[in-house]
Amino acid sequence: MGALLTRETDLRQSQEEAQYLTFMLSGEMFAIGILGIKEILEYGQLTSVPMMPAFVRGVINLRGAVVPVIDLSARFGRHNAEVTRRSCIVIIEADSDGNTQDIGLMVDSVSAVLEIARSEIEPPPAFGAKIRADFISGMAKVNGAFVIVLNVDQVLSVDEMTLLSEASGPALATPS
Amino acid sequence: MSTSLDQALQTYIAEARELLEEMEAALLRLESAPDDAETLGAIFRAAHTIKGSAGLFGLDPIVSFTHIVEDILQRLRDGNLAVTAQLIALLLECGDHMQQLIEVVAVQGGQLDATAHAHECGLRERLYSYQQAVTEEACMPVVHAPEPTIEVCDEQHVSSELWHISLRFGPQVLRNGMDPLSFLRYLNSIGSIQRISTLSDSMPPMDSMDAESCYLGFEIELQSDAERATIAETFDFVRDDCQIHILPPHGKIAEYIEMLQQLPEDFSRLGELLVSSGALTPQELERGLAAQENPSGNQPQQLLGEILLEQRVVQPAVVQAALDKQSQLQEQRSREQRYVRVQADKLDELINLVGELVIAGAGASLLAQNCQDEALQEATSVVSGLVEEIRDGALRLRMVPIGDTFNRFQRVVRDVSQELGKDIELHISGAETELDKSVVEKIGDPLMHLLRNAMDHGIELPEVRQAAGKPSKGNLHLNAYHDSGSIVIEISDDGRGLDRQRILQKARERDLISSTATPTDAELYNLIFEAGFSTASAITSLSGRGVGMDVVKRNITALRGSVELDSQPGLGTRVRIRLPLTLAIIDGFLVGISQASYVVPLNMVQECVELSADDRRATRERGYLNLRGEVLPLIFLREHFNIDGSPGRRENVVVVRCAEHKAGLVVDELLGEFQTVIKPLGKLFSTLRGISGSTILGNGAVALILDVPALVLQITRQASHAAQQPAALSICAR
Repeated sequence: MGALLTRETDLRQSQEEAQYLTFMLSGEMFAIGILGIKEILEYGQLTSVPMMPAFVRGVINLRGAVVPVIDLSARFGRHNAEVTRRSCIVIIEADSDGNTQDIGLMVDSVSAVLEIARSEIEPPPAFGAKIRADFISGMAKVNGAFVIVLNVDQVLSVDEMTLLSEASGPALATPS
Repeated sequence: MSTSLDQALQTYIAEARELLEEMEAALLRLESAPDDAETLGAIFRAAHTIKGSAGLFGLDPIVSFTHIVEDILQRLRDGNLAVTAQLIALLLECGDHMQQLIEVVAVQGGQLDATAHAHECGLRERLYSYQQAVTEEACMPVVHAPEPTIEVCDEQHVSSELWHISLRFGPQVLRNGMDPLSFLRYLNSIGSIQRISTLSDSMPPMDSMDAESCYLGFEIELQSDAERATIAETFDFVRDDCQIHILPPHGKIAEYIEMLQQLPEDFSRLGELLVSSGALTPQELERGLAAQENPSGNQPQQLLGEILLEQRVVQPAVVQAALDKQSQLQEQRSREQRYVRVQADKLDELINLVGELVIAGAGASLLAQNCQDEALQEATSVVSGLVEEIRDGALRLRMVPIGDTFNRFQRVVRDVSQELGKDIELHISGAETELDKSVVEKIGDPLMHLLRNAMDHGIELPEVRQAAGKPSKGNLHLNAYHDSGSIVIEISDDGRGLDRQRILQKARERDLISSTATPTDAELYNLIFEAGFSTASAITSLSGRGVGMDVVKRNITALRGSVELDSQPGLGTRVRIRLPLTLAIIDGFLVGISQASYVVPLNMVQECVELSADDRRATRERGYLNLRGEVLPLIFLREHFNIDGSPGRRENVVVVRCAEHKAGLVVDELLGEFQTVIKPLGKLFSTLRGISGSTILGNGAVALILDVPALVLQITRQASHAAQQPAALSICAR
């Protein structure tokens, strides 16, 4: 399971507790390790990129750098997220082939930063979860309820997403 | 100090590489014009400089090998050796070996491995054979400059047969990264030092001595056949802050005396030193001293320097010639100094900053436009004008002529044609065409591949050519020119052309086209850029494995370029590569569709036409516009990109041109010109077609840059498929 965590969290594995950012998506609570997170932005001016799969929401200008934004809800195979007053973009440093790339993750709302003890996190269920099993790094118990801890490397795997857009691209590209 | 020495070494390596390239180019020139003294001189100077500087860094393997090469070149220059194809081939190989030596010895600081060493020995032997051939033939002594006169018994001249070199290094020498010993070592490579005396007179007491200063002086007796200029060149690097006197064998006593006077040390002590080292005989010294005290009888006070001056005045012509030569040298030097070596990443950094400046400037002028303050608007418009100039200037810094890349291929063509037993000549034109350095670096390999392909498959063997009624010598043309904001590189040959039937058969085998379709020639020929497509029946060492052409295409596409191919059976093939001039900043034309903005590279925009209400319905059905009697295929970007929302109140057509294709992009709004700083979209968007990048607008929003060539290609392909049925569109499909 250690391999599923980011390198930074590996260093902390020996420690008892790690910090997680929790956020809401379609009424469900999710958590991601805090070490890969660079900043959290209010959902704002976004340019959509045509002919990309639905989960690529578009690109934003992050202080002069063009950063892609992933619609997490659509990435889970659900409908596109609605933009609300509380919508946020979480900027995450993702690793792809040794190169780091900033990727934005669009979520419904950001909740809190929690310290969760490793003992409180259970391995992902083999079946029964509503999202892909390889997206789940573990199930954390927070105040008696389960929170899904996401495997960010897998959710934001640039290689996989590139393959997906390649598959969906030509279909959209041929005009009716 | 070690860092500055390291830097100096890096500069040497860079220079040596350049010199070797020059040398190679000059050698190839020499092959066609063997009597060109200037070319020979260039080759000699290149070898000489490489050797000289290598000596300074103590890179002995380079010095000793290059010395032999230089010797041969000297003989060529003196006319003692004739230029033959064999000799040029040998010298080319030597050039390669010097390259290897520099890579191994200077860059890695290592030693040659056994095979390379054996290779060197082979080269040396072949070079020696030329050297010996010459020494036997040319018994006539080479006439040197008039300095080493042979009147030994003259009272005016000393009897020593050695050069006398008096060196006083300046205190800054060590700080400037020079090692005095390396000069001595180098002297040993052009002659042999017979005697050397070290002078430490200027050494201060221990406590006031600065460890980083040089206090040493040397008196050297050198035995050498080299000319004065060659010996003097040794000290080129330290000439400015050192006292250097070089006296020829049998030099005038007066010169010795003058030198002794100028030196900081005690006159008589030095005189004795010279006597003891054998440079002067005691009698000569006495005569010189006497002459100084009583030079010509009636003018006892005249200084020796003045006497010499008078002597010189006697031969004004000689002095004038010397002065002219000096000023020429200085001029040449100043021309060289007009270039400044700048690290490429510093330049990249500058261009990135200029890019940010352009974006920030656009933001400022947008804000100014929203204010009603005219003075502010005026000021920002001046600023943006200047920013534009800075941008162009900064980008020009990175522009280099493509000629250097082209010239590299002369050698390749020469070698490959010999290997294949074909007679091929490479013609280069448009070498002065400039393009971005980052593009130049990446275009070399694809060009090389295309050239090899043309030589291997395109151009036939001489017998075949003669049988076909063509001259036996094949011609390859490399041409470059600017066209509507891109650079076009053409590679054409007069070989056999592509075999249409074979490609068609192969394409059907590989299911690239259906067995019933009848593709156009252009479509068919461009199939050879597909992965794993090779029609060569025999695989040669050069090409034919089917890897390559697709790599060529991929590399060119990665540079936002395109490649197309045209072929006439029996007459030849032409590959045309079209590349953007720069990868950083372009002039763009901003268009709007619904809320989104898109940038069209301005140099592809021909004109803009408003689509009238009547036209709108009709064009939407037809898919093309009648533009002054011309058929203009349209791309409805809203539909093409699946953008939500209904079409705006009015629509406009932006007429774009790419190569010989024209198309119209249907958009809602025309927003005007915009300086576009290209920001790559990253790997996630690598599969996206029709969008080549992004940029940031003045208001901070991201706008996408349209990949016009890809869009136009797509629309013309569609049109040509549709042309199976009726349609006047086939014009656009070529």
